[in-house]
Amino acid sequence: MSESLLSPNKKLSKKAVKVWRLTESLSNVISIIVLSILFYLDYYFSWVYWIGWILIGLVVIGIVGGIWGYIKPGLLYKHWRYDISEEFLQLKSGAIKEEHQLVPMTKIQSVSTKQGPLLRKYGLYAVTVQTMGSTHTIPALEKAVATELRNTIAKYAKVEEMEE
Amino acid sequence: MNEAKRHHPLQIAYDLWGFIKNTFFIIVILFVFQAGSDSWLVKYGRIAFLTLVAVTIIYLVFKWFTNKYTLTQTAFVLTEGVFSKKRKTVPYSKVQHAKRETKLFHRIFRVTSISFETSSQGDDSSVTFHVVTPAEAIRLENQVSQQNAGVEDADQAVVDSVDETKPGSEVESEAETGRIVHFSPTKKEVIKASFTSLSFLAVIPILGSQVNKFDDILPNDQQAEGMVGFILDRWWLIALTIILIVGLLMIGGVIWTFLKYGKYEIASDKDKVYITKGVLEETAFSITKKNVQAIQIQQSFMKRILGLAEVKLVVAGALGDDGADVNSLYPFLPVKKAQQLVEEILPSYRLTDSMESLPRESFWFRMLRPSWFWIIATGVLFVWKPDLFGLSEYWWAFSIILLILIVMSRVLDYKHTRYTINDTFIQLKTGGFGTNLFLSKRSSVIEVGVSRNIIQKKLGLASLATVNRAKPVLHTTMDDVPVEWADEFLAWYQDRNQEIELK
Repeated sequence: MSESLLSPNKKLSKKAVKVWRLTESLSNVISIIVLSILFYLDYYFSWVYWIGWILIGLVVIGIVGGIWGYIKPGLLYKHWRYDISEEFLQLKSGAIKEEHQLVPMTKIQSVSTKQGPLLRKYGLYAVTVQTMGSTHTIPALEKAVATELRNTIAKYAKVEEMEE
Repeated sequence: MNEAKRHHPLQIAYDLWGFIKNTFFIIVILFVFQAGSDSWLVKYGRIAFLTLVAVTIIYLVFKWFTNKYTLTQTAFVLTEGVFSKKRKTVPYSKVQHAKRETKLFHRIFRVTSISFETSSQGDDSSVTFHVVTPAEAIRLENQVSQQNAGVEDADQAVVDSVDETKPGSEVESEAETGRIVHFSPTKKEVIKASFTSLSFLAVIPILGSQVNKFDDILPNDQQAEGMVGFILDRWWLIALTIILIVGLLMIGGVIWTFLKYGKYEIASDKDKVYITKGVLEETAFSITKKNVQAIQIQQSFMKRILGLAEVKLVVAGALGDDGADVNSLYPFLPVKKAQQLVEEILPSYRLTDSMESLPRESFWFRMLRPSWFWIIATGVLFVWKPDLFGLSEYWWAFSIILLILIVMSRVLDYKHTRYTINDTFIQLKTGGFGTNLFLSKRSSVIEVGVSRNIIQKKLGLASLATVNRAKPVLHTTMDDVPVEWADEFLAWYQDRNQEIELK
């Protein structure tokens, strides 16, 4: 097993794990509420028997998903790496499926920082890079790091290639 | 040369023709089906429709008066809109390719249409002239290519395009511009091509069911007169009908193929590639060689049997409705000829025969990977048990056939898959029953990625992906190559600056 391939070395903000876990907990709370309402309705209107089975199935999936959702942020954080040079943006992520991206700076069309309510709570930003073909997001960076990264990418991406 | 011009007056007729086509059903209902009707609905419907026609005509005339175009030194400037004005500027340097279409309408009035496609997104990505005289089309095309090729080629370019009205002029202009015709199909090749579209064979089962119906119509009392004689009689009839219909279909297929691919010409000069085709409705596609993003050589199962291949040029501009076709060099090229053509037309591209095949590990990994398609299909078959040919109990047989096909396709895919990096080129070949060979320059690949899941990691394999400019962008993937090669691939891509000139 070779450990070669690209190995960018910059990590996300450590707080990312907390943000993701919080997101996960929130969505779990919402699904618990929805499921409880459904269970109540099922009981109240005595729906057909198999709906009860489906609901129980959903609960099982929800529990498994919830546990996975708690483990996942740690793994995600552990395996997320990025780096930039004057020529390339490098991204690496994924524990189970490891993905590497290599994007030439000259092909980047826009770069932006974004912040949702949860990221704001922890003072984090997501940096999104758009190319002609796709969109890549570095999900959680400290404000200073994110702004600097955005500005650096913008500077390098300004260079245009001659259409050969 | 630089003043604003109106479009060709026939533009009005063209738009009106489009309007009539769009409202054809309304016209038929109002004036044909309900021709004798006195119902108020039809009466007012007709009045409303005729008013709409009148308003449309007035609008189209106004539109013709207001819409103008200017060719400046560097860009098209178009003024559009009767009520809200719009001015758009499209620089020639952004034009990726030009497409000239001469439909039946254009044929009748001896005009043509031309559109210039850019690589940008949205409505303004192309400049289209629906009706122009052939001379104006040539002028437009030259203006664009002059700008792009540098001014010194300007005079040359004037003679460049084929003037369809005078077939004789073609030969002369060839000598002057260095335009070379690389390929034009012979009659034999067209007939061979028509066999690849074996769609007419699909009619035979339908035919079979028709014969069954025919059976019911035949009078029953003949049963008394000896079965043997009757069946003999009937076989004659059936055979004759089948021969007749298959014959007709084959002739139809040949005619269809001839109309579509009969008059086909692949030509090129120093800077550009020209693909002209169509007997009744002609399309002429031209692209500057350096705008070709990648090349695909595709073979369907049928084409592989017949030893034919299709070469496609991947281009960054939009291709339009019949998109699949215009960027294709002749779709039925003999394999050798196809490779030869690529090197003739695009001398900066190098095809190589020496490619690497997948390692043993990937064979087992591929064979043992669950086929979700098969699992779902089997599930559906189990629940639904389709009554195909009255064989509903044998649903498992269909599942097994499907499994065999999937396994076959995987084995073939493993056998066909080849990859190589050849200096500044990447060449990838994949495909089970049909194959697809992808060839691109490092500088034209705009993004790459490599991925590997846990099992691939254990086996030392990785999957890679490239992205090329096209509309929509072209993603090409190559699964289960050795991780060392993926590494090489990434290193190779990181060296792309060697060929890139920066502005």
